[in-house]
Amino acid sequence: MAATDREVPRGAPVPGGADPLGDPFLRTRFALPGRPGTFLRRDRLVEHLGQALLTPLTVVNGSAGAGKSLLVADWAAHLGRPVAWLTLDAAVEGPGMFWAQLLQSLNACGVPVPTAIDFPADATRVHHTLLSRLAWELAGHDRPVTVVIDEFERMTDPEVARQLEFVLRHARPGLRLVLVSRTEPLLPLHRYRLAGEMTEIRDADLAFTTEEAVELLELHGLSLAVPVAGALVERTRGWAAGLRLSALAARSSPDPELYLKQFEAGQGTIADFLLAEVLERQTPETQALLLRISVLDRFCPGLADALTQRRDAATILAELHRANAFVEDFGHGWYRLHPLFREILLVHLRRRAPGLETELHRRAAHWLRRSGTLPEMLAHGAAARDWTYMARVLVEDLEIGRLITGPGSGEPVDWFAGMEGETPDPATNLVRAACELSRSDLDRGLAHLRRAEEQLASDGRDFPAARLSWAVLEALAGRLAGSAGRAERATRSARQLMPRMPSRLLEGHPELDALLLTHRGSSALWAGRYEDARTDLTAVARGPRTASTALPRMEALEHLALVDHLDGRPGAAERKVSAMTAEAERYGLAQPWGSGLGQVVLAAVALGRDDVDHAEALLADAPGPRSADPVPAAAGRAVTAGVLLARGRTGAALAVAARPVPAADDSPWAQGTAALVVSEALLAEGRPDAAVEALRQVAGDQPLCTVGLARAYLAAGDPRTALRLLDGLEAHGRSGPGVAVPAALVRAQAAALEGDTATVRRLLAQALAEGRREELRRPFRSAGPWIDAFLAEPSLRASALGWLVPDPEAPDGPAPGGPGPGMPVEELSERERDVLERLARAMSTEDIAADLYVSVNTVKTHLKSVYRKLSVHRRNDAVRRARELGLL
Amino acid sequence: MQYEIRVDGHMSETLIGSFPELEHVMISGQTLLYGPLVDEAHLYGLLARFQSLGLHVVELRRLPE
Repeated sequence: MAATDREVPRGAPVPGGADPLGDPFLRTRFALPGRPGTFLRRDRLVEHLGQALLTPLTVVNGSAGAGKSLLVADWAAHLGRPVAWLTLDAAVEGPGMFWAQLLQSLNACGVPVPTAIDFPADATRVHHTLLSRLAWELAGHDRPVTVVIDEFERMTDPEVARQLEFVLRHARPGLRLVLVSRTEPLLPLHRYRLAGEMTEIRDADLAFTTEEAVELLELHGLSLAVPVAGALVERTRGWAAGLRLSALAARSSPDPELYLKQFEAGQGTIADFLLAEVLERQTPETQALLLRISVLDRFCPGLADALTQRRDAATILAELHRANAFVEDFGHGWYRLHPLFREILLVHLRRRAPGLETELHRRAAHWLRRSGTLPEMLAHGAAARDWTYMARVLVEDLEIGRLITGPGSGEPVDWFAGMEGETPDPATNLVRAACELSRSDLDRGLAHLRRAEEQLASDGRDFPAARLSWAVLEALAGRLAGSAGRAERATRSARQLMPRMPSRLLEGHPELDALLLTHRGSSALWAGRYEDARTDLTAVARGPRTASTALPRMEALEHLALVDHLDGRPGAAERKVSAMTAEAERYGLAQPWGSGLGQVVLAAVALGRDDVDHAEALLADAPGPRSADPVPAAAGRAVTAGVLLARGRTGAALAVAARPVPAADDSPWAQGTAALVVSEALLAEGRPDAAVEALRQVAGDQPLCTVGLARAYLAAGDPRTALRLLDGLEAHGRSGPGVAVPAALVRAQAAALEGDTATVRRLLAQALAEGRREELRRPFRSAGPWIDAFLAEPSLRASALGWLVPDPEAPDGPAPGGPGPGMPVEELSERERDVLERLARAMSTEDIAADLYVSVNTVKTHLKSVYRKLSVHRRNDAVRRARELGLL
Repeated sequence: MQYEIRVDGHMSETLIGSFPELEHVMISGQTLLYGPLVDEAHLYGLLARFQSLGLHVVELRRLPE
């Protein structure tokens, strides 16, 4: 299909997708630029460009106005197969935004983006997996996909160039990349050049020859003798924009040939001089219009009218386009100025009407609010420094959630970077509160939130959108302050306000409800109201799957994982974190994800499996105390202390456990898990009475603490109380193997003290069966020396072999006395084996991560433990050693 | 850092007005712009502006302090 057939209405949003900032994609970005009637097809260049189909990379470099885009667009339109086209603009900033746009350009040209890839939800970052999957997908195509990126000079982020190079390298031969740019792209061009894998078209190639200039000017209605044309080519150095402008200027003068001769003899800079000449010859209305639209990236007559405050833009623009002067048609009523002419017109605007530029941006912002996209509106609002207006729009249109959907949603915050001074109105205070809270600056956020509340109360006007925005932010403030009551009240008032909002507006913002429920659920979890928390968080996790709800959904999953962990269900907790990770990778989010809680829960699970190294590595990767959020802070505190204890660093463990987590409400599990570490430390020091004391006040309905308390009582010589506590626990009945296994071990120890070995064996058999499924090694290894004799008995040993104690006769294990200097001290986990196998296939860390659907950091963690277990330091050694041991 | 930038052709007053931080003189067929630049970022920014206005830089040099 010819690419021109796909030129769908532009300027209008593309259905079925939104970029990371939640905006509909602009069709103008994905449309082949239209060729004007005066476009001259030059066969030598088309032929040269034909090589682009044979080399992975093509670079078309040339100065502004050299005719790069039109050349490539014309070539692409006649290629007879779809070409993905992406024109960059100022709004496409950062890797997340860039890749979202690139995926959309593939979609727009009919190359389906694989279902495993969702659009990046974070504007500033993109996860490596997304790139690997995209490269993999492209590599699988039987015909290479051609992707053109126009105005690539706008992409100054070296990270994007690196990522593009990665995809290009791994997708070959499935991808043909054509970069159109004023400057050399930051890719390692020399490598491609040396290998003959690059097609290059540069200024010298793009320059018009005299013969071509004659033809071009003919198309402009000027018939020139070859010597005149030759002189013109010399004067303009064959520069397309110069030739075009001289044709326009000459055409409107009484004696074109004379005019051109004079121009050739003149000394003015070409575009500057000619453009002023052409501009002077337009009617005053046309001049006014041209100068005013120079503040816009793209425009339609309506927007141009808004700037000129007249109603004649449609006629003038059509006329300008017909005369091939200045404006380029995107079709369906959308135009843009040629970038070179736009820059010069802008200089003229500033000179002729100083101060008008700001007002024009303000008018554009107002028009775009009604008929454009939010980032475009914000860009012009910020250029006009009209903060009050921008804030009011964000609040009225319920866009406040965008400012707080997570740490990566930094872009709208940046629009307000230039804002200073007092904030006299509630909307501006709400926006500032959202910015501060999204940076977890609780105090400043709260100050703005309070001011907004006062202003809303004293201002008699009814402003439900502002009150709803306030309630959403207040719920977040409640969560960060550890106050369930506050989050609950805020959610209730938000729910009362929601029916008063236009339903279409509300339906367009599913993230508001997701945010409210996540905040309320998180604060309920903090306060120990597990059922309430579970209800809210489950609703979020199962809620609408849009990019705008990705971050709340991920947070909900990691909170639910914490509930599972506290209930003693490590497997379920782990699965929820994996679901969260998968979700993050789907949307191409880079780490750290969410609040870091998921990572902490995984560390807790690893600790339960006695994989202390892994737990430590996970904690080291988790985001630090940047966040004011009490839930991850308290969970992190407990696991960190637990790891230190497992390392025998009792003093450090106690110091960590004593660290305060500031919050309004008491949190039973936060206190309980910290007290449990203290109690275990005291037991280890042989102070059972103090261990009982540490837990007695806090155990309550915390199943893990109850088991810890029972153990302390047993050590203190009070088995009756210990068993009574455990009986109560079983009646409770909601907990999983993470609680049941250590509980059974306390009972078994009590029976052992009584000399009731039959009961000990029965309980141990039961604990081993349950523990095996979840690989719960730590409860057995920290149970005490009494257990060793029992585990050495053949019947129990059989149930412990292979997961709790090494199995020397395992069929795929190393033969005793084999070539290696002995078997590894610890067996590799299933995941570590997966990583090792891929290592042996010479896959890179990134590729392994992509293949296993995990993060690069997780792979590195696995690698670290593989190295440790195999006593090696390098990947080659690991593979060799694994082969020696028969692990591969 | 004092810099001197030589551009092909005589720039119009309007266009020169968009480089208020620089002084200028016209010499045969060229415009010489000169003045203090804040840092390298400023220099690259200037070069990008020249490029976006369709100006050809023919010489660029740093003047001795």
